[in-house]
Amino acid sequence: MNIVGIAACTSGIAHTYIAKEKLMKAGQALNHTIHIETQGTIGTENELLPQDIAAADVVIIAADIKVGGRDRFAGKKIVDIPTHIAIKSPKALLNKIQAELGI
Amino acid sequence: MDLSTVIDKNRINLAVDANNKEEALNILIDMLVKSGSIVSKEVFIKDVYLREAEGKTGIGGGIAIPHGKSKTVVQTSLAIGRTKKPIFWESLDDEPVQFIILFAVRDVDSTTVHVRLLGEIAGKLADEEIVEQLLTSKKAEDVISIFSQDN
Repeated sequence: MNIVGIAACTSGIAHTYIAKEKLMKAGQALNHTIHIETQGTIGTENELLPQDIAAADVVIIAADIKVGGRDRFAGKKIVDIPTHIAIKSPKALLNKIQAELGI
Repeated sequence: MDLSTVIDKNRINLAVDANNKEEALNILIDMLVKSGSIVSKEVFIKDVYLREAEGKTGIGGGIAIPHGKSKTVVQTSLAIGRTKKPIFWESLDDEPVQFIILFAVRDVDSTTVHVRLLGEIAGKLADEEIVEQLLTSKKAEDVISIFSQDN
């Protein structure tokens, strides 16, 4: 799958970055193409590129707060989860999404 | 990655003698007071528990990342402790915790390089190999070099 996503937690200090890395590692291990943007206390990093969003089969928003720039994903399949799902079972999450999309 | 601004071996204790979360946090926070990273222990504890109330800081695999963004923090820094025995901690995998990384973040420090470093350190905890190394590290210097590795 082509995956893009956002990670953002309440204080924007720690969980955001763990969630991002967990999703990236799971995505790479399962041979997906994955880009994750972080919206933390220091602002947005690894901002998603329009071409990556355009190519994405799914948008994963792993967040405990409202994220910015959600309008970038108009018309896309969006999966909203709290950060702890991404941290606890990222591979299971990706497999479930893949099964649901049937790709 | 130069972590020396946030990690110091004087704030790493690999033999924390604690029976529970409260005792462990107490020992870690004392290290922050001693190094001058925070001024008021009472104020900081309150801010750490405020964050604890918002959601689990045990991220699974025996690791916890309590954090406090607080007015009483003078310098954004980490205190790291490994308890002699696993202790109860609210965790994503409902398992006990043995390795605790306490993040002390300055209230006004929202864009500095320090906070960025903390994010990078947190990201490393997504790697099971790094977690295993931390749980079995022998001395404070080992912990610093584990976190200093570039991905």
